[in-house]
Amino acid sequence: MVSVINTVDTSHEDMIHDAQMDYYGTRLATCSSDRSVKIFDVRNGGQILIADLRGHEGPVWQVAWAHPMYGNILASCSYDRKVIVWKEENGTWEKTYEYTGHDSSVNSVCWAPHDYGLILACGSSDGAISLLSYTGDGQWEVKKISNAHTIGCNAVSWAPAVVPGSLIDQPSGQKPNYIKRFASGGCDNLVKLWKEEDGQWKEEQKLEAHSDWVRDVAWAPSIGLPTSTIASCSQDGRVFIWTCDDTSGNSWSPKLLHKFNDVVWHVSWSITANILAVSGGDNKVTLWKESVDGLWACISDVNKGQGAVSAITEGQQNEQ
Amino acid sequence: MQCKRLVILVLHAYARSSHYFLIICLGTSAQQLDASFSTNATLEIFEVDFRDPSLDMKLRGSLPASNRFHKLILGSFANGVSDSSSGVIVGGGDNGVITLYSASQILTSGKETVIGQTEKHTGPVRALDFNPFQSNLLASGANDSEIYIWDLNNFSVPMTPGTKSQPQEDISVVSWNRQVQHILSSAHPSGKAVVWDLRKNEPIIKVSDHSNRMHCSGMAWHPEVATQLVLSSEDDRLPVIQMWDLRFATSPLSQMEGHTRGVLSVSWSQADPELLLSSAKDNRILCWNPCVSEVIYELPTRSQWCFDVQWCPRNPSVFSAASFDGWISIYSVMGGSLEAQQKTQADKISSAFNNPDPFGTGQSLPPLQVPEQVVQTTLIPPLKKPPKWIRRPAGVSFAFGGKLVTFGLPKAPAQPMQQVTPRQVFISQMALQSGNLLDYCQSKIQAAQNQSEENLWNFLKVNLEQDSRTKLLKLLGYGKEELQKKIASCLGNGIPKTDDSAQIAQPVKAPNNFTEEVTAVGAASSSVFFDNLVPQGMSMLEIPVTTDTDGLISQALLVGNFCGAVELCMRAERFADAILLAIVGGEKLLRETQKQYFAKRKTKISLLLSFIVQEKWQDIVCACDLQSWKEALAILLTYSKHNEYTQLCDMLGTRLELEGDGALLNEACLCYISSGNVERLVECWVKTHETSSPLTLGEGDGAESVH
Repeated sequence: MVSVINTVDTSHEDMIHDAQMDYYGTRLATCSSDRSVKIFDVRNGGQILIADLRGHEGPVWQVAWAHPMYGNILASCSYDRKVIVWKEENGTWEKTYEYTGHDSSVNSVCWAPHDYGLILACGSSDGAISLLSYTGDGQWEVKKISNAHTIGCNAVSWAPAVVPGSLIDQPSGQKPNYIKRFASGGCDNLVKLWKEEDGQWKEEQKLEAHSDWVRDVAWAPSIGLPTSTIASCSQDGRVFIWTCDDTSGNSWSPKLLHKFNDVVWHVSWSITANILAVSGGDNKVTLWKESVDGLWACISDVNKGQGAVSAITEGQQNEQ
Repeated sequence: MQCKRLVILVLHAYARSSHYFLIICLGTSAQQLDASFSTNATLEIFEVDFRDPSLDMKLRGSLPASNRFHKLILGSFANGVSDSSSGVIVGGGDNGVITLYSASQILTSGKETVIGQTEKHTGPVRALDFNPFQSNLLASGANDSEIYIWDLNNFSVPMTPGTKSQPQEDISVVSWNRQVQHILSSAHPSGKAVVWDLRKNEPIIKVSDHSNRMHCSGMAWHPEVATQLVLSSEDDRLPVIQMWDLRFATSPLSQMEGHTRGVLSVSWSQADPELLLSSAKDNRILCWNPCVSEVIYELPTRSQWCFDVQWCPRNPSVFSAASFDGWISIYSVMGGSLEAQQKTQADKISSAFNNPDPFGTGQSLPPLQVPEQVVQTTLIPPLKKPPKWIRRPAGVSFAFGGKLVTFGLPKAPAQPMQQVTPRQVFISQMALQSGNLLDYCQSKIQAAQNQSEENLWNFLKVNLEQDSRTKLLKLLGYGKEELQKKIASCLGNGIPKTDDSAQIAQPVKAPNNFTEEVTAVGAASSSVFFDNLVPQGMSMLEIPVTTDTDGLISQALLVGNFCGAVELCMRAERFADAILLAIVGGEKLLRETQKQYFAKRKTKISLLLSFIVQEKWQDIVCACDLQSWKEALAILLTYSKHNEYTQLCDMLGTRLELEGDGALLNEACLCYISSGNVERLVECWVKTHETSSPLTLGEGDGAESVH
């Protein structure tokens, strides 16, 4: 069901903390405790190191690709409290912007849907969330939500720029008036939803269910159905699926996907939002799918320890 | 001013599980006195709500205690009825008293705040620890080497870990091992530490430094390595923290030297073994990496001793420090704004007493000697190396086209010396099947309220499966295997009489009804279409599915089982039907059927038919009545192929020649002529003349003419 088609040896000298493919799935960006960010061309199962980006002075936690309509842009955040935006110009990657407005480790970066422009949300252990908007000519405008999560924000994830239900109720002609929203998760065990009103960011919802730090949140891509969905995972081993059916976006209800025995570090939605990948502290990745009757079922154990991945795959290839 | 001893813990099973408060419990310390020499004691619970940006400590409950405390701890033990949601606070008192308080009762200002008390110990109880595995097990230590193990479910009678160690001395710390639940250690001011095995009920190892200058103030087990522990020394001459490994218990593994005066307290982070906090009489709070004996962090200098530092067991980045000036400060090693916590403490604590003269000395206390509070602008710097709990070790992300990017920790290298471990990222391709739709249908089938619903889901399910047509047929009640059996049994038992069919037909009736039902539904909506399609006046097509021959044949036809159908026809001697069906059924079946037919059917010309149909020309030649040789030859001429023709004619000729007793030699000759076999013709012709020489004498010209 899941077979490894490419194994990229990153040559990072320490733990890898994030790996993200670009929009087209042709390039892979990785970041590590060795303070570097690397970009690989991974087309046709190959791996060609395109760039080894140095500039952070601490472990780099996350990387995020911007939408290609803005060019080749990658953001990274680090324990050194910095956020760096990297850009490819004439084939070479250079730092184009550095943000140093946080007082502690910056744990998460996420680009807003391209419809809103080039906006980056950054969550930090100082409890604040920064929103960096590109205003042109190399200028960035900064908005900061202080104390978004007391004692630390661990994750940010933007809501899709699609009006819920647009697939069913065709919007009448003109472009709908999007409301910018994103979700964040933090050390206060909360998932919070934020929305922009008159240029100001306001807390819209507090979602309470986790009993320990929220490690990651992921707002599901919208395919135009009336339901908005968010996945959150926590130190407490639980993964919750939050859904909201009403258009005002006020009533969210949690559904426990699963309680794992270990920390759950990361959740990621497939592009069509019907499969959720969950990665835990035990090195295990599981894939989950909602059945027709609304129950979530594990459809695949991708691996039990990374060593086993290649083993399983070799086995599968032998079978073929 | 009152000084507080402090313990900090988040109640795990707090009433509203989604609300997470930090509960800080403060009790009057027995070791300090203020100018009033009052010995009154109080127990207070403060709460910090991390979701409140102001980070105020709120006093949630307070009660007078019977004696002052040497040690306070919080446990998650819940004794069923009254305390199901909260924890238990245990205070080690001045004169051998251990008191159990119900945290929830204090928080709700209930009456039954004290849930247990014992005076078993003879001296001040300085050491208390809850077993990390069994929340009902409490260890306590006091003077004269007294150590008791208490079961909170049966608080009256304690156990001892073994005979008292000699010489008898005070117990300053007891601590349960973090990995092995029956291992307990105790430490004495003399610098000696004893490790007890509760299964053996005896001390298993003693650890002591040869310098004799250790004065144990603190002890902590390694959070992950079961055999390692640290001991801290309060002696100013040896202000160190020693790391011991019980596998080499002759001397300390390493020694952490950094404090200039005696160490008062140590706390090892349960979330990251590379973080050990210590506070000392030099006013410093240091954070060590015990693995390399290095100071990795130092809190900004303070003006007072901190006699207690503790990691928050719930929130790994938070720790608290209690100082002799009565302040409790909460810090975060992640840096940030938590320092603000400090400013409100003194006010809160004094207001907790809510009485200008709490000790009844007749004079109100002088105003607190608290320095003017300035909002702290200095930020606590974060640790240089990020703590373990924020280093994400593994992850997964989806990418375009069903690709999945995964990474994780590499497997530990076989040899620790091997420095280079491959840091790999895996890109996988997903190919998912709709397997769970089948399950869904199956569950719907099981939950179906009525037959038609069940049928509906059955059909939907089968549509998703492979080879769905066969399965659909089966669903309709026409399983090939069953039918085969039916035919076989029918052929074996003989054919039931048509008259009985009505009764026997029952078993197959249900699916039959069903098909009709479905057709009826379909027909209703589109009847007009069918009316136009079917020529008027055409008789209704009947498909009998009874168990008589007609029924079975038609069933066999429904599933395309021509073989069975033909067999049934043959059995019923409906040869025409059989042949017709066999034609549709293909060459092989046709041949087979013909064969059977000829085997069964014996008429005058059946053999001939059989030979012709089966193209057995040779058989004709061999079997034909010699009188019919003309006809045989005619058949050969008509049907046989060129290459066989000669041979067959010759065969016929030979027969005529040999079997005809000479009477048919002429005919034989004709055959040879037909085949063009001159040699045989001549031989035969000669024979003709020999046998009938009288005749030929008179017909000599004839012979010549032939030549």
